[in-house]
Amino acid sequence: MNRWYPVARSEELVPRHIAQTQLLGQEIALWRDDAGAVNAWENRCPHRGVRLSIGSNTGTDLRCRYHGFRFAAGSGRCNFIPAHPSQKPAGSMHAVVYAAVERYRYVCVSLDPRTDEPELPMPGNAAATSLRSIFVEAPAAAVVDQLSRGYRIDAATEAVLTGEDHFTLTAAAGSGERAQVVLFLLQPVTQTQTVIHALLCPAAAAADRLAVLRHHNAQMTMLRDAVERSCAAAKRRA
Amino acid sequence: MTNESGIESVLWDDWHVVAELARLEHAGRFETMLLGVPVTLEMDRASGRVGARSDGADIASVAVKYGFVWICLGRPARAIVEFDECLEPERLTATGGSVRVAVSGLRAVENFLDLGHLAFVHAGYLGEEPHTEIAPYAVDARPGGGIIATGCRVYQPKPSPVDSHGFDVDYVYAVLRPYIVVLYKANPVEKTRQDMIALLVQPVSEESCVAHILTCYLPHEIHPPTVRRFQQFIFGQDRPILENQLPKRLPLDPRAEISVRADGSSAAYRRWLGASGVRFGAIPASDAAAP
Repeated sequence: MNRWYPVARSEELVPRHIAQTQLLGQEIALWRDDAGAVNAWENRCPHRGVRLSIGSNTGTDLRCRYHGFRFAAGSGRCNFIPAHPSQKPAGSMHAVVYAAVERYRYVCVSLDPRTDEPELPMPGNAAATSLRSIFVEAPAAAVVDQLSRGYRIDAATEAVLTGEDHFTLTAAAGSGERAQVVLFLLQPVTQTQTVIHALLCPAAAAADRLAVLRHHNAQMTMLRDAVERSCAAAKRRA
Repeated sequence: MTNESGIESVLWDDWHVVAELARLEHAGRFETMLLGVPVTLEMDRASGRVGARSDGADIASVAVKYGFVWICLGRPARAIVEFDECLEPERLTATGGSVRVAVSGLRAVENFLDLGHLAFVHAGYLGEEPHTEIAPYAVDARPGGGIIATGCRVYQPKPSPVDSHGFDVDYVYAVLRPYIVVLYKANPVEKTRQDMIALLVQPVSEESCVAHILTCYLPHEIHPPTVRRFQQFIFGQDRPILENQLPKRLPLDPRAEISVRADGSSAAYRRWLGASGVRFGAIPASDAAAP
């Protein structure tokens, strides 16, 4: 609970939109307020349980689709109940708020709101290229296991893989000016589903960008297929 | 109290709608499910007799009433619910359609009782901003079981299939059985008399239902196709809301979902379900308290 996971790419949270994601089986409504801050809330209105992600983002509040209750950005507290417009809502009427920050153009969430600011392992302050985020029908541990067997950082080079923890891996190759790192950040969606987010550092040169993205897309597709095959085989044996 | 089915008698030994008669007449044979039990309905076209079977055995208690097929899987502890309005010959009794919803039928009943959503989910028809305030209304126990909410009043831009202008509509709601709820609303022409709309909910599984609509209107410019089109349009607005409720079963613990004053009928409904021992489609308060 008490740790950060990537749950979306920053550019998914466009103004006045509400995105839906899932972390450790918990559905989350993600939205950016007009001040630019990201809100990550349990995807459930405290009043009658309707998913907040089908409501609307007013820029300062999230409005539930069912009864129009409004919940304030930041605190998640209900500040307006249309059925009782002149009454101050009870303090107990609030959305369940999770901690959310943005790092390297990813939205990171901790289900425990007291979690300290995240420290993500990034080499220096160099700009990075976001690679494809890919959904895998397998637990995060199986993804880590498969990744540890090797990753081609470019057509010719096998990377050295280092596990930071159960959900973060780095693949490194080359040195000096030719050093390249791919940081893999895993989002445990449920116990059996994972999204792999990945970024390449330093950023790809503009002229190479498309070729680099295609290379990693192909690598990650093979990775996904291999993990899903081995999980399916393990399930058949069980 | 439960029986060999494991399902509480208050539901098992009661009558439930399992199909609209017109649909069975058309199909001849119809597969459905009640309280998690697969049921096959058949109509003998020559005699018009309706039969029901489950797991190869005949179901003894089958009836046709108000345009619907009703069955009881146990031993009927009481009669099919009575709608006196349907006996008034001048009124138009019409079915309003049957809609499958992926949520507990208890959630569907509660939504039918709900006043606060009208201005949002049915905006432009059964409510409209800024007319969102819900004035106090009375909720009482019904002598025969269930609850009754009286003195409900909402401004509605298009309250019925034939209205073109809005007015303040007076409502009475009554929950007659755990899965049966009815509303009476002032008729737009004869404002001292009421139209009746009932929601007869078929509990298919704990987390899915079919909502069957029965209407009984006073005969002012009203025709069955208009009724059906209007009711299905309205219920079509409710369905995506209901299917986005989490959890899918109705929590009976008052701490599970926070109520406001406008939810008086919903809170009373949940309390009455708990007191009646209804579990199918519900999360009993005792379960919620467990770690």
